[in-house]
Amino acid sequence: MSLAGSQSFSVDSLAMNDIPGNTSILLTSDDTAALEAVFYRLVAAPDDEQSVVLATEADGRSTKRSLTEAVRGADGRTSILTCEGPDRGDDVQSVDDLSDLTRLGMDFSGLFAEAQQDPAPLRAGILLCSTIMGEVDDTRSVYRFLNSNFLSQLRRSKALGVCAIDTSADIGSNVDSTIAGLETSFSARIDIESTGRNQATLDVSGLSNNDGTIDVSW
Amino acid sequence: MRYMGTRTVLCVDTGKGVEEMAGAIQDEDGLEPVTATSIAEAAEQLDSQSVDCVVTEYDLADGTGLDIVEHLRSDDPQTPVVLFTDVSPAEIDTASFEEMIVEYLNKGLPDAYDRLGFIVDDVITHSAQVGFLVPDNEGSRLDALEQYDVDELPIEESFSRLTDLIADRFDVAVAFIGLIEKDVENFLACTGSDWDSLTREDTICTHSMLQEDVMVVEDINEDSRFANNDTLQNLGIVSYAGANMTNKDDEVIGQVCVIDHERRSYSADERHSLQQFASTAMEILELRQSLRNARNTEVEA
Repeated sequence: MSLAGSQSFSVDSLAMNDIPGNTSILLTSDDTAALEAVFYRLVAAPDDEQSVVLATEADGRSTKRSLTEAVRGADGRTSILTCEGPDRGDDVQSVDDLSDLTRLGMDFSGLFAEAQQDPAPLRAGILLCSTIMGEVDDTRSVYRFLNSNFLSQLRRSKALGVCAIDTSADIGSNVDSTIAGLETSFSARIDIESTGRNQATLDVSGLSNNDGTIDVSW
Repeated sequence: MRYMGTRTVLCVDTGKGVEEMAGAIQDEDGLEPVTATSIAEAAEQLDSQSVDCVVTEYDLADGTGLDIVEHLRSDDPQTPVVLFTDVSPAEIDTASFEEMIVEYLNKGLPDAYDRLGFIVDDVITHSAQVGFLVPDNEGSRLDALEQYDVDELPIEESFSRLTDLIADRFDVAVAFIGLIEKDVENFLACTGSDWDSLTREDTICTHSMLQEDVMVVEDINEDSRFANNDTLQNLGIVSYAGANMTNKDDEVIGQVCVIDHERRSYSADERHSLQQFASTAMEILELRQSLRNARNTEVEA
């Protein structure tokens, strides 16, 4: 049994295309605004696609706004799990305690399972995984969460996934060493360097013909 | 695919539910269900046999499915669990189980029973609930490791002499050479202690092997990857430095490491030395294996 067919993804605003399904991108930066801007461009679903987003530091309303700023109408094609604010209808669920990875994992699995009832290609993202790392006592639980929930769901759904890490955050361990480890579990890496107000350069690797540097503004 | 044998799946539910659950598992090639209808029965099964995965209902007569997960995690933290239930996550009491990751599958979804076998096969095949990062090249890395007949090679004395030298060079409590298998790290030589093997997610080496350079942890109590790791604490480990054993195809198969019971740092020269020791260990292993291969070829001829 396969839960999804072969598919590829494009990100028009970043001039990226032919990204195959089951691609996992580790997105890193020490500039939170730049991280958010690029994250939503990668994860926002164009027409005929859908998204699942775990937002650790934004409520449902602002997450929807960021999605539709990236791709018009993407908010209506996205299921959101947020750690801020109340539930808002069927497409925004919230969790009270970010360190409760048992509940967070089940909720996230549930959103993926519901999305898989629809054959539309799926994008998924976590913004910010570094916040979860900072909240949880034992990093092994975060790795289990990534393995069990995020990376497994990408594999089964042949989805495009983005896991964002704020490298300026306190994650309770050496951030360079942790990212070097994380990088080996993801198929691609995009590191964002801020170059000015609402401007940045992306260093892209692991995305074949999209590799190299890309200048973006927002 | 590396995992070719039949995989045993413990199915836990009450009444007719366990039969339907076991039926869905049976329908997937390579999966063999065993059943239990309570937490007590499930605990007996887990204590008496090795299982590759557990599928459990949440509501059980003598507790919840998360009690089974707790029982399992204490002895076998890497065995995956699928919570297969129509109880929604919001109704599940996670207060006592905040960092216990399970796969959640809503039994009420239209294709839930069709999906169950596929998911169980997937979580076993991909070791999907391990508490460590699995490198993208794990398959080829394990294939590379399989090329060494470690149990048949006369390497113990050579490696023991080498770890003696390493411990002396760095003036540390423990020096060891370990190979990192799929689920465990096996220690081939260990000066200063008698470690045999450790579950992989409990080791620092499973992190160190992902770094290009020598990895140093000056004090594990200051690093959330290790500070709450009871195994490391019970072994008295405070500081760590590890260097990769990398074969000619660039696959990391093991580590050469030094451990101390107190905080310490390592200079650039010391890191370089440790990497040289790791390269020497790799050369010894390669040479011994080459000799064995040559002898086997002669015998066959």
